[in-house]
Amino acid sequence: MSSAWILISMTALFLFFGYSGVPVAFALMGGVLIGTMFTPISLPSIVGQMFNGIDSEALMAIPFFLLVGELMTSSKIILRIVKLSQALVGHFKGGLAQVLTIFSMFFSGMSGSVSADVAVLTKTMAEPMKEEGYSPPFIASLIAGASTIAALVPPSIMAVVYGAIGNVSIAGLFLGGVVPGFMIGIGLMIYSYLFGPTGIRRPRSTFSQLSTATREAFLAILIPVIILGGVLTGWFTPTEAGVVAVVYILLVVFPLLNPAHLRRLPHDFVQAGVVFSLPVITIAAASAFGWMLAYLRGPMVVSAWITGFAGSDPHTIMFLLVALFVIVGDFIEPIPAIVIFMPIVTVLTDTGNISGVHMGVVLIITLAFGLITPPYGLALLMASKFLNVRFSSALKASLPIYLIFFATIASAIYIPNVVLWLPKKIFPESVGCFKAPEGNSYICPDS
Amino acid sequence: MLTCGLLLAGFVSSVFFDITTRILGRPWLWLQEVTSIQFIYCVFLGAAVSVRRNDHLLLTAIADSLSGFKRSLIETVNRMVILFVAICMCYFGGVNFLQGFGSFRMPSMTPIAFWYLAIPLSGVLIVVFVVEQLINGLKNGYEPLPHAEDLQTDQPQDLIAETPR
Repeated sequence: MSSAWILISMTALFLFFGYSGVPVAFALMGGVLIGTMFTPISLPSIVGQMFNGIDSEALMAIPFFLLVGELMTSSKIILRIVKLSQALVGHFKGGLAQVLTIFSMFFSGMSGSVSADVAVLTKTMAEPMKEEGYSPPFIASLIAGASTIAALVPPSIMAVVYGAIGNVSIAGLFLGGVVPGFMIGIGLMIYSYLFGPTGIRRPRSTFSQLSTATREAFLAILIPVIILGGVLTGWFTPTEAGVVAVVYILLVVFPLLNPAHLRRLPHDFVQAGVVFSLPVITIAAASAFGWMLAYLRGPMVVSAWITGFAGSDPHTIMFLLVALFVIVGDFIEPIPAIVIFMPIVTVLTDTGNISGVHMGVVLIITLAFGLITPPYGLALLMASKFLNVRFSSALKASLPIYLIFFATIASAIYIPNVVLWLPKKIFPESVGCFKAPEGNSYICPDS
Repeated sequence: MLTCGLLLAGFVSSVFFDITTRILGRPWLWLQEVTSIQFIYCVFLGAAVSVRRNDHLLLTAIADSLSGFKRSLIETVNRMVILFVAICMCYFGGVNFLQGFGSFRMPSMTPIAFWYLAIPLSGVLIVVFVVEQLINGLKNGYEPLPHAEDLQTDQPQDLIAETPR
């Protein structure tokens, strides 16, 4: 059997198994194990690739960030952030929709997980919004859209996986995602203001109410500062920053804000211990799949198609990769997509002489967009399920939000500084800049 | 599940001590190996537990559109696919485990076989859980499939009541 046929069969088996209801990790492994039988590769080496794919210090950040999200949610300390968001933007038109978006931006800075964001936003915001007359499809679409911010702002789990697998600076990806993340957040707020329901207009918070809300949420909103600050100052790796955040919650936040919750810690650890294995085992299986894809020269074929069309023009290469990832993201979860397609991305990043951080952030925005597009828009599926609305209604309500993503993706491709400005200002080494021989300035590669 | 929680608590502690000893200028290098082995076991055991709890990420479009015999058939086939992968993990993972005694992790020189062991161990547990599901399913019918969108549903319900208005 030729390489192309093995590749096609492997992919077809994975999609068939996956859409039949086989868990994603097992669907990937089923496809790759059957495909391997038609090659000279030994099956133990493919199974061993599952281990090699996750034997990485950087990937250990995933359980820690999920644990941070679990601890903050389970202890209900996040409600203080809801109150702060309310004090900040609750008086605007569409007050609760604005609160939802701001709250999502804060919570994203703690958990880094889109699915955790959807669950928390639904549990906290959906019912009050329904009572104020927001339509369930609008709420579902807004929750799904806002939750994708978690994929962009630090400590994004997608950025951790992209950085670990693609050998790109995770700190650079964290910083590079901030501006696009804010663009999506602000886009959603403008959309809610102009086109969303009015809701109940509340009076603007007084200075005293705002300062009380800030004081009550202060310890919680320090978490993103600890994570990002620790990484950027070089004190910690992203993984260690996750642990420091967990220890900070256990030793400072809980004793001061919710000491009674310490009794529930075993439950939180057990929950996070099982939940984190799901994305990581999927990475293990996807890396076996990606390894086989590379062996069958899939990346060379796809990158030859793209460079045949785009040459070495970075914008066209990025545009075509975005088109590919929009299609891929519609059918596959973002994390396996990153792992499987990384060899292709690496080749094309080199061909176009593109900054790894720039390419990474553009593709992460694209995959985040895939979370609200059919047929497998996980965030939108979860939100519509939680709110008990038809997926098609939620999808229709999401269409205006697609424009926000198109604008963000286009800006990120054609205006590289949308992504690279913040890393260049704060952590220039993360985007390949180096110190000028004299003075304190940096010399950065053109992008 | 409890083991996963303990392993997670274990590697939170070992990374914390790793940072602390490094800051104190007396790093315990072996802590990185302790962290790594706990992480690997937590992932593979967690994956097995998730098979039993039907927690894995699933797409149920095809299975949901079927009923009766066809539904039972596709659910049985799905579990056979998982069983096939689990058996491969047991056998070929076992081969890797035996070969792993020839490679060592620095600095403790522990054979890498102890890391590789997580895969066949997870495979054995998955085989047991899937066979259990197959027997129960063929006898009493399969439980409804959890949806991809059902993940993370155990967040505190009473958060809604406390949302500021």
